[in-house]
Amino acid sequence: MTAIDAQGTVAAARARRTPRQKRDARVAYVFLAPFLFLLLLFQYVPLAMMAKNAFMDYSLLNPDAAKFVGLLNFSDMLYFDDARESLAATFLFALGVVAIVIPLGFALALFLDSKLPARGIVRTIIMLPVVTSAVVVATMWNFLLDPSNGLINGVVTAMGLPRQPFLTSPDQALVMIAIMTAWQQVGFAAILFLGGLQGVPKELAEAARIDGATKAQVLWNITIPLLSRTTLFVVVIMTVFSLQAFAPAFLMTDGGPRDSTNLIVYHIYKTAFVMQNAGYASALSVLLLVIVLGISLLQMWLLRARWNY
Amino acid sequence: MKRVLFATLLGGSALAALPALAQDAACNGKPVTLRILRTPGNYPYPAPMEAWQKEHPCVSFEINEVPFAQLGDTISVQAASDDPPDILVYDGPNTQSYAKAGILLPLTKYLPEGWDDDILPATKAEHSYEGEVYSPGIEQTTVAMYYNKALTDAAGIEPPQTLDAAWTWPEALEAFKACQQGEPGAPEVWGLGPTRFGNGQPGLVYQDLIYQRSNGDPEADPESSAWKTFWAMAPDGSTVEGYLDTPEAIEALTFYRSLFNEEGVAPKAGIPNAFFDGKACFYIDTPAAGNALLKDPVIDWGITPIPYFKTPVVHTGSTTIGVTARSKHPEIAAQFAVDMEWGEYAYMNVSQRGNLPTLKSLFPRFPAYQDYPMKVFTDQLEQWGQPRPPSPYFSQYDRIVTDAIRSVAFGGDPEEAMADAEREVARAMRR
Repeated sequence: MTAIDAQGTVAAARARRTPRQKRDARVAYVFLAPFLFLLLLFQYVPLAMMAKNAFMDYSLLNPDAAKFVGLLNFSDMLYFDDARESLAATFLFALGVVAIVIPLGFALALFLDSKLPARGIVRTIIMLPVVTSAVVVATMWNFLLDPSNGLINGVVTAMGLPRQPFLTSPDQALVMIAIMTAWQQVGFAAILFLGGLQGVPKELAEAARIDGATKAQVLWNITIPLLSRTTLFVVVIMTVFSLQAFAPAFLMTDGGPRDSTNLIVYHIYKTAFVMQNAGYASALSVLLLVIVLGISLLQMWLLRARWNY
Repeated sequence: MKRVLFATLLGGSALAALPALAQDAACNGKPVTLRILRTPGNYPYPAPMEAWQKEHPCVSFEINEVPFAQLGDTISVQAASDDPPDILVYDGPNTQSYAKAGILLPLTKYLPEGWDDDILPATKAEHSYEGEVYSPGIEQTTVAMYYNKALTDAAGIEPPQTLDAAWTWPEALEAFKACQQGEPGAPEVWGLGPTRFGNGQPGLVYQDLIYQRSNGDPEADPESSAWKTFWAMAPDGSTVEGYLDTPEAIEALTFYRSLFNEEGVAPKAGIPNAFFDGKACFYIDTPAAGNALLKDPVIDWGITPIPYFKTPVVHTGSTTIGVTARSKHPEIAAQFAVDMEWGEYAYMNVSQRGNLPTLKSLFPRFPAYQDYPMKVFTDQLEQWGQPRPPSPYFSQYDRIVTDAIRSVAFGGDPEEAMADAEREVARAMRR
C-alpha cells in the first residue's frame, strides 16, 4: 500500500464516522480535558521552566536577579567534579539495586507461583517493606547498621569479625544503601514477576515436559524468554526508581561520607535549596531527564520481546 | 424546642463574636495582620505578644511554623513569593545571605537609643551587612563541654571550671581516654559523646570548626597563616582562599580526625541521649542541655570550658527575628521585631527559652548564669565568642565546610578535604 493510499483510507474512515461516533469522541475529549490540562500545568510547564532555568544563573532567594548565562551551567558540569561524581555514585547505586532485585524478585516470584506451603505469609512479608514509608525504612536500617549498637554489627562481632563502619566508610556506604533499597523494592519486583509468570500459558511447559525437558530446561528455554516483557518492565521501573532515589541519601548518609552516596536527585536538591544555585540544579535536572530517557530507551531496545504468546 | 435551639444558636454566635468585638472596640485605626514564620516552640512567645498587642490593639498575628530542618528551604520559597510573611524567625548566621538577596528589611533606623552599647559585639557583627543592621538579635547560644561527674570522679579527673584554667585539646584527649570505658571505637562509655545536632554525625561548623580556628591567632600578622586560620574566611567575606587549608588548620584537623579513628574516643554516628543516659563522659552542647539538667538532674554533672589549641574560641549565634523587605506592613512589622528584642519584651522572650540574651543589660536578670556551672557560658560568650564567619555566602560555606570536616572525621585526608572546600566555596562566591 502506498502512502497516498493509506492517507486516503484514513480520510475515508474519518468521513465514514457516524454522528454517534463523533459525539462519543467529543465526550471523550471533554472527559480527558481536565487531566490533560493538569498534566500540562503540573508536568510540562514546569519541565519547560526547568529547561529555561538551566540557562540562567539565579537563586531561589532572589529570582528577580536571574541572568542568562548561556551554557555556563553545562560547562560547569565538565569543569567541576560534583556532577560526574554524583552521577557515578547514582549509576553504581542503580546497578547494585537492579542486580540484586531482578534475580531475587524472580526467585521469590517462582516460589510464590509454586504450591509450596506458607506462600501467603511469604507474600505478606516481602510486600511489607514496599508499603512501608521510606523514612521508616531508612530509620530502621540506620539502627541496624549503627557502628556501635547496631544489630548487624552485633552479629559481625559475635562471629569474631571486626566492627564495620557501614554508613561512615566511603567504601561501604553506597553498597549498604543499595542493599537497603533492594530489600525494600524486591517485593514489588516479585509481584510483577508473579503476574508475568501467571500469564505464561501452561500448555507450553506441559508440552516441553512431555517431550522430556527438565524443569531447569523449561525455566531457561520457555519461562524466562516468555517473561521478557515483564523483565523489561521491572528493569526499567527499578532503574528509574534507583536513578530518582532521594530518601537514603537524605536520611541516612547526608550524601557522605566524602560524597560517596551523593545521589543525583539529592545533589540537585542540595544545589537548589542549600547552595542556592537553582540554575545549575535545573541544568542537572535536564541532564538527568535525558539520561533517564536514554537508559529507558536503550533498555527497551535491548530487552525487547522476541516472542509473543 | 425550635425556639430553644434558635436561642442557643444566637447566644453561641454572640459569645463567639465577643473577642472580635472587643478588639474592634479598642482599635481606632486600620486592622493589620502580621504574618510570622517561625520554628515550633520558638519566639516570639504568647506572653510578650499579648502584652505588645495591648499597646497595638489594631495588630493581630497569623503564625506559621515549620521544623528547623525545613526552615531554610521554606524561607527560600516563601521569601521570593508575591506575598511573603512579614516576620521571619530565621537562623542568625544567614542574615547576610538574606540581606544580600534583598529578603530582609534594614532595621537600623528603628533601633532604640543605647542598643549599640548594649548589644554583644558578636551578635552585631553577625546581623549586620554593609553598614545596616538587619536584626537586633534576641538570644545567643554557644557551646561548652558538659561532663558526667560520676564518671570523671571514677576516673580521677577534675575538669577545669573557669576559662583561665581551660584544657588544651591534647589535655582533653587524655581525659577522654582516661574516662572512656571499653574498646576504643566501640566502648560502653564514650570519652566524648556525639552531637545532638543534625543526624548526630560530627563535622558541623557551629561545633567543630572551632578546632582549627583555635589553632590560629587573631593577633598575628594578617598575611600569616595563623591569622587566616583563626578567621577561617576573609573578615570581609570576600574569599576563603588560603583560610581553610593552612598548616595550622591541617594540624588541628589531623588531631580532630584521631578522636574518631586512631584514638577512638568519639563516635562517628549519633547515639540519642548518650550523655544523659551515662553513655558518654564528656559532651558538647548549648545551654539547653544545662537548663534541662537543672530542671531534671538525671545525672550528676558539671561544665568545663571548650578546650583549645592556641586561641580559645567558641561560636555564637542562634535564631533571630527579621522583617521581610516586601512586607505589606513594614513599619509596624519593624516596630514589632525591634520591640520583641529590646527591654522587657526581650526578657520575656529569652527567659521563656532559657538561652542567653544578646543584651548585656539583661545578663544580671538571669541568675542561673551568674554562678557555676552555667556561668561558663556567659564567660565564654563575653571573652571567647566569635560569630561563624559572616558572609552573604554563609549557607553555602556552612554546608561545604561541614561536609569537609565530616569527611575528615570519617577518616579522610584533611589537606585534600579543605582544599576541595576552598574550591567549592570559591565556586559559590563566583555567583
